[in-house]
Amino acid sequence: MARSTTSFGLQATPKHPVSLTVNGDEHDLLIEPRKTLLAVLRDTIGLTGTKEGCSTGDCGACTVIVDGKAVTSCMVLGVTVSGKEITTIEGLASDGELHPIQQAFIDTGGYQCGFCTPGFIMASKVLVDENPDRTEEEFRHALGGNICRCTGYTKILEAVLQAAEEIRTTS
Amino acid sequence: MSEYSVVGQKLPRVDAVEKVTGAAQYGADVHPAGMLYGKIVRSQHAHANILSIDTSEAEKLPGVRAIITQDDVPSGRRVFATDKVLYLGEPLAAVAATDPDIAEEAAELIKIEYEVLPVVQDVMESIKPSAPRLHGDATKDGPNRRNINAEIKKLADEVDSNSDEIRELEAELEKYADEVYYNISAESHTEAGDVEKGFAESDIVVEDTYFIPRVHQTYMEPHVSVASADSSGKITVWASTQGPFAIRSGIAGTLGIPLTQINVIGTTMGGGFGGRFGVIITHVPAVLLSQKSGRPVRVQMTREEEFLDGRPAPGCVIKLKTGATKDGHILARQALAFWDSGSVSGASIGSTIRVRGVYKIPNIKIDAYGVHTNKSGTAAYRAPGAPQAIFAGESQLDDIAEQIGMDPVKFRLMNMREEGDSVPAGGSEPKVGYKETLEAVADAAGWWDREANDNQGWGVAVGDWTNGCGPGGVYVSVHEDGSARIFHGSMDITGTDTAITQIIAEILTIPYANVTIRRGDTDSAPYSTGSGGSVVTFTMGNTAKLAAEDARRRILELAAERLNTNADDLELRDGAVHIITADPPKSISLGELAAYSLSTTGGPIVGKGSFARQPSTPALAAQIAKVEVDPDTGRTRVLKLVASQDVGFAINPMAVEGQIEGGTVQGYAWAMMEEMQYGENGNINPGFVDYRVPTSADLPTVESVIVEVPAPNGPYGAKGVGEPPITPTLATMANAVRDAIGVRITELPIKPEKVVEALKNNGHGA
Repeated sequence: MARSTTSFGLQATPKHPVSLTVNGDEHDLLIEPRKTLLAVLRDTIGLTGTKEGCSTGDCGACTVIVDGKAVTSCMVLGVTVSGKEITTIEGLASDGELHPIQQAFIDTGGYQCGFCTPGFIMASKVLVDENPDRTEEEFRHALGGNICRCTGYTKILEAVLQAAEEIRTTS
Repeated sequence: MSEYSVVGQKLPRVDAVEKVTGAAQYGADVHPAGMLYGKIVRSQHAHANILSIDTSEAEKLPGVRAIITQDDVPSGRRVFATDKVLYLGEPLAAVAATDPDIAEEAAELIKIEYEVLPVVQDVMESIKPSAPRLHGDATKDGPNRRNINAEIKKLADEVDSNSDEIRELEAELEKYADEVYYNISAESHTEAGDVEKGFAESDIVVEDTYFIPRVHQTYMEPHVSVASADSSGKITVWASTQGPFAIRSGIAGTLGIPLTQINVIGTTMGGGFGGRFGVIITHVPAVLLSQKSGRPVRVQMTREEEFLDGRPAPGCVIKLKTGATKDGHILARQALAFWDSGSVSGASIGSTIRVRGVYKIPNIKIDAYGVHTNKSGTAAYRAPGAPQAIFAGESQLDDIAEQIGMDPVKFRLMNMREEGDSVPAGGSEPKVGYKETLEAVADAAGWWDREANDNQGWGVAVGDWTNGCGPGGVYVSVHEDGSARIFHGSMDITGTDTAITQIIAEILTIPYANVTIRRGDTDSAPYSTGSGGSVVTFTMGNTAKLAAEDARRRILELAAERLNTNADDLELRDGAVHIITADPPKSISLGELAAYSLSTTGGPIVGKGSFARQPSTPALAAQIAKVEVDPDTGRTRVLKLVASQDVGFAINPMAVEGQIEGGTVQGYAWAMMEEMQYGENGNINPGFVDYRVPTSADLPTVESVIVEVPAPNGPYGAKGVGEPPITPTLATMANAVRDAIGVRITELPIKPEKVVEALKNNGHGA
């Protein structure tokens, strides 16, 4: 089905000023209104750790954190998140130290091909931050928006439970 | 305590940090300066003649830099359809533009005129004389006609063609008029013993027809490649692929250019499962667009394009018949299978033989046909063809066990081949943990103490698979700080680089953390086989072992020189070479030897390993599921799923468990959820909303059980572990549902509506 070209033509679409804070860095950008947050992160800013698995909001590979909430960045237009604080997979480790969730995915073998991993880690971070006391069953359901095709989820759940335990005991 | 210090350990993977920090570079993360975005123009019809392709409007769109069709393929090899399209989504042209949205817009501006043709998408319809033909008159005789025709041909050499014998046979042939199959892409026939005699001697004969759907590998990273053709003609391709060397030769062949003009850089692979070997899907269009535009070009599929023009696993229809004695001996098995190969040949029809399983069945007859339909071609998916055939074989085995009143596990144990038994393919059965693996899963799942509860059921099945083998080369260098570096060319397929690293650390007796691994591109690395067919740990593990042993020889040679003794008196241990008999102890570290080597005649420590082939040993996966079925809604809930596997030797048990768990869940999904669906005009569920793959919310923890019966030629006894775990799960689930509801479902996936219907047909429910 043919989409209609905007009255300006795609190449001449007016760009909009957008200010984002990504992993603590401020970016003042001019972006086309049609570009998703995912496209802005990957193509404009060059942070390619966030992955594109379906572009329809169904697989969770592009999950990032926007003002503390897990968001599928392929479903959000870049112009709508101006002024917001965004964390991507690249912003999780601090001072050369991996975040406990990243470490847990390594310790348990919670990833294989790794393509879904950034999305899983970002979604898990929000979940354990919100409530590390969730049961395994609750985490299983809460992570139902992310697809992994390699692991069968067993070791991902182990990783999330390990991270939750660590966050519980250290906070 | 293990006799090894590095292999056999649950160590974190070598790519751990890059994978959890977003640093790993996948295909779509490659972005050379000046890169354009490619888009493929696809057929809007499943079967049609192409009357015209008009690119003029698209060419006018600002930002468009190149448009290509089949006219731009110098070798003439088919990359784009020209006169006729055979499936919805078949490529017709491609566009490169400065922005992905402009490329998409341009693709939509290319005008294609079609003359729509009748469509056939069901194998059982496609073999009929009334079906539209995809490729002229591709017909084959069915098994009975085939036999009679063979007899006629033989006789015709000896007697007059008008002889009574021949005329009788020709009359006989008429009886099998409906055994002429149309749209046939390939056939395969196997026979051992005499099945008719076997069925005649059987007390029980069970016959059924099994339907297995086409499913997509659904690797999370869609197909992608970035190509850059420079002005000298040199082509660089960043490819997400399981086999960079195969892609190199594939591009060279398709474009008619020398191998040395192409460098393929394998990017971190976001899953493959057998579906990531294709050459023309994105790689060749990217190269052609780059050649035409003079700019680097990325061609990246959307998820929808993956479903339309990926190369999924073939569906099939298998008619299966099994005969057994009352006391549980299987005497004969016969299969007639039709595999849906789509628009081209290539479905894994030879795997139909796997209906024989790991059992002593003296009489076997297999007739298998690949059938064209208006769908994309197919490719491998984790043990290609085995899950389908084993679903039929293991479902029917349970029905026989029930009819003769035998426990399904005991029935299987009784019929399993043993070491020294003759193998249908020739030779004798090696030592394989068939019984050990099945017993292990039965024990772990609590099979022997299972209780019969309302609406609950237990299912068991086993599946066999043998890893492949292929050529590979590995170099290992030892450095002045005592560390070692591996260099090779095979794609990491979720843990294989780690296994190679563990093997080399083990032999060089240095810590795992002191060994690093680097994959080269096809310009630099030694040739390596593709990462599929469970080959990598077997092949590259053996290759790595040879390289490390070669390095050790040089190390001992240097140490003998340095310590003024014979190499025979030396021992490599804990990262140093020791004089075995020296008192007080005398040794020299690997680092010191590496530093010393730099000023010797023989030079630095570089071990080389090169390997191509050794016989592999079969592996078995055995699984048990406990399910609960809601008879009103038909919904099946998994209560327990246990998977055991004879892995030979687990070089990294954590990675091996991951393979077992992941493969089992893929098998579960094929049994219960997944199905590529086709309407009047091609695939109708090209996305994750309509093609549901499992999430963590769909099933409980998979329990894995590792069984180790060493393979004589595997590194440390290891077998390839990636493929076996998917092979039995389809039947495991079907058998569990059968046990729960008392009705056999032979058509996958077992969606709730099928359960409700099966119960209704069987006199249950409203």
